Amino acid sequence: MRLTEDEIYRSSTQFRLWSFTPEALASLRATTNSTATQRVKAAVKRLRESRNQSETNSEAENGTSTPVIFNREPDCLTVEEEMKVVEAFCGRAIVLGNVLEFPSNVIATGVQYLRRFYLFNSPMTYEPKSIMLSAMFLANKIEDNKMECADYAARITGTTKEQVLAPEFLITQALRFTFDVRHPFRGLQGGHMEMLAIAQGKAAVLPYVEKTAAEFQQEMLELPTQPGGAATKITQRELEKRLNAATDKARDTLKSSAIQSDAYFLYTPSQIWLAAYLLADEVLALFYLSSKFPGTIDAETPTGIAKLKIVATVRACAVLLAPDPALQKLSAEEKEAKRLEEINEVKAIHVKLRHCRDPDKMDLVKLNKAQKRDAGVEGKLEESVAKRRKLEREKNEKEADEFWGPELPKNGKKA
Amino acid sequence: MALSPIDSPKPVPAAAKALPAKAKALTILNASTSSPSNASTPSSEGPQDLSEQLNEQVRRNYVTGSRLGEGTYAIVYSGHLRHDPTSLVAIKKLKVNKDYLDGLAPDAFREVRALQELSHPNIIKLYAVFSTRDQNLNIVLEHLPRGDIEGLMQNKSVSYGPADVKAWANMLAKAVWFCHENSILHRDIKGNNLLIAADGEVKLADFGLARTFSDPYRPMTYNVITRFYRPPELLYGARYYGGAVDVWSMGCVIAELVLRHFFLVSNTDIEQIDAITDVFGSCTEDVWPGVSRLDHYIPPAKDNIKRPKPMIYWKQHFGMLGDDGIEYLKSMFVLDPRKRATARQVLDHPYWTNNPKPTPKELLPQAAGGVEKMAEDLKRRGGEIEEGDGRADKVARKLNFADLKR
Repeated sequence: MRLTEDEIYRSSTQFRLWSFTPEALASLRATTNSTATQRVKAAVKRLRESRNQSETNSEAENGTSTPVIFNREPDCLTVEEEMKVVEAFCGRAIVLGNVLEFPSNVIATGVQYLRRFYLFNSPMTYEPKSIMLSAMFLANKIEDNKMECADYAARITGTTKEQVLAPEFLITQALRFTFDVRHPFRGLQGGHMEMLAIAQGKAAVLPYVEKTAAEFQQEMLELPTQPGGAATKITQRELEKRLNAATDKARDTLKSSAIQSDAYFLYTPSQIWLAAYLLADEVLALFYLSSKFPGTIDAETPTGIAKLKIVATVRACAVLLAPDPALQKLSAEEKEAKRLEEINEVKAIHVKLRHCRDPDKMDLVKLNKAQKRDAGVEGKLEESVAKRRKLEREKNEKEADEFWGPELPKNGKKA
Repeated sequence: MALSPIDSPKPVPAAAKALPAKAKALTILNASTSSPSNASTPSSEGPQDLSEQLNEQVRRNYVTGSRLGEGTYAIVYSGHLRHDPTSLVAIKKLKVNKDYLDGLAPDAFREVRALQELSHPNIIKLYAVFSTRDQNLNIVLEHLPRGDIEGLMQNKSVSYGPADVKAWANMLAKAVWFCHENSILHRDIKGNNLLIAADGEVKLADFGLARTFSDPYRPMTYNVITRFYRPPELLYGARYYGGAVDVWSMGCVIAELVLRHFFLVSNTDIEQIDAITDVFGSCTEDVWPGVSRLDHYIPPAKDNIKRPKPMIYWKQHFGMLGDDGIEYLKSMFVLDPRKRATARQVLDHPYWTNNPKPTPKELLPQAAGGVEKMAEDLKRRGGEIEEGDGRADKVARKLNFADLKR
């Protein structure tokens, strides 16, 4: 008995709950944004009304004016601005993980938690910094990289253990209680080992491929360095070097742009690692893919169609992972200017965010405590409170009845 | 779905007056959209988050019924689907773990994480997870009312034969194989984690110690698996291991089914090694290259090298399995984990297709035990052993991560 990787992946929560078409992803984000916007506006309106009320009272006395912010509709973030903020914090999460020397799967899991969280929540509702810190701690817990929360908090300036733990429950709920994240790292390692075996003439050739391991090795040694380039002839040692370099480069992509983009929502782990490899060494990536197919295939047959589809999907994913081509052409100064511009942009969004935060969700620590306190009494205590209230109510009614006399029959009916 | 004329809403004041019960039902129905009346916490103001709405939807699918049992770790309730009272479930409400101060306890995460990914007839089904207002996790699990394998093995009033053992063992082997295909190690396989469904199907439960396979060179803790079922490499402190640890435990469960008592019994970890070597011979570099490099390895004295039990021992005690059965059972007990059978190799063994054929699950012998037994088994924390059952091994095992840092 054997399960195919496809079958295993299709049963995963990453596929069932966290894979989207680009359209579904966009519409989910739009819904989240509009829900949060409504909420912020409603909350600000409520605050303003209660303040106006007390204003009118106090204004009669000393005539102070209302703070500016509550006088106008809050200017809420757009979906694009929300995404920029989240992306910026994904970057910060990676830096944090590297500084604290977390394993790469922990960092990648934490960043995905952050991205998954903000599919269903807006930065206007929950402030990204506390969510980021908590998500990274949760990732350590899930990936069995044990650390004490107090130690973790102590290593981040201005953060307490309570702050790290307060949003944990919110995060688990937003993750819909699915914690497994499938990463492309192992796939890349496996592919690397397979390619190394081909280079050494020890390829495990698939039964329907009419080639020998030696033929594969020969072919690989003669691969051009660039797509469409002339055939070369290198030694096995040089080829191994080339493979190592490609894998290292691909791994860097997986640790950075793959987790910082929507790749995990749109593509499977194997598509992601192949895309990263394609960016690192296109010729090798395509050679590896062809080694899984019969030597000559008709593009019209199902196998041929499948191959074209796979290559097209991998290329599409590679576009998502690739650095912006426009950025590549710029000079060093221009790049630096662009970088600063982006930083300022994010800063500006942050300033804007400060004025459209949901006032109800400012203090997560307090909120968490309140929820637990409220809930701690569920069951017995709540029951007794309810009973006491009921008795009081009945007593009051009785007293009222004694004073005013019983309620008169309504609608002319007889009592 | 169209409303019947009787159910269609009437003009509000009259209806509210005349049908208070119905009005109340309507409020409950509408409660998921917003609950302005319940303004005691800030969170209940304004529209709910999308995630709150989703949670609410899941929660409303189930009705929690009577309480079946309570442990230190969880309370188990019976329950059913709201729209279908005949579809029973077990709802395990996790308690806040007082010993663990860093938020939600990791064993709850391990269990939920693993079960969310695994869908197989021989693994307990996780239907849903939802939270109640007090931030407690509720895990909705398959209702398994027919006790567990350990109960069957010990209940002398139930008699069973080779074909029955083959059927149970096969369901266990499939469950373990499926976990390993999905890169998940169970790390606590034993008789009372194997529950029996109403239709006789065996289901592997309690994933509180489960984890995904570690990456190469990333150490794991060796302090897992209940002692009677723990393989020698973990007793010797191995930090790099794979599916072989579960295969050893599986062998122990099958052996117990045949013997009708615990197979490898001891009071301490050191004695457990003795219990193992008494049957399988001493662990030496000859039979297990590299064993002496394990942290807690103690070489046997030169004049006290034990030899494995001869074939006659196996025929005497495990004759029920037949020669092919003895061979496949022994393949799960190879001391060197690299030479031990994998779950897939176990399933490929001719034992399963040889006569006698495994008993169809509907015809398998049953024991009493029922729902209480399920509650008993589900309320434990991963790796925890219930107290007062007369067993020596009463230590609630915790993962000791401090050891990993050394």
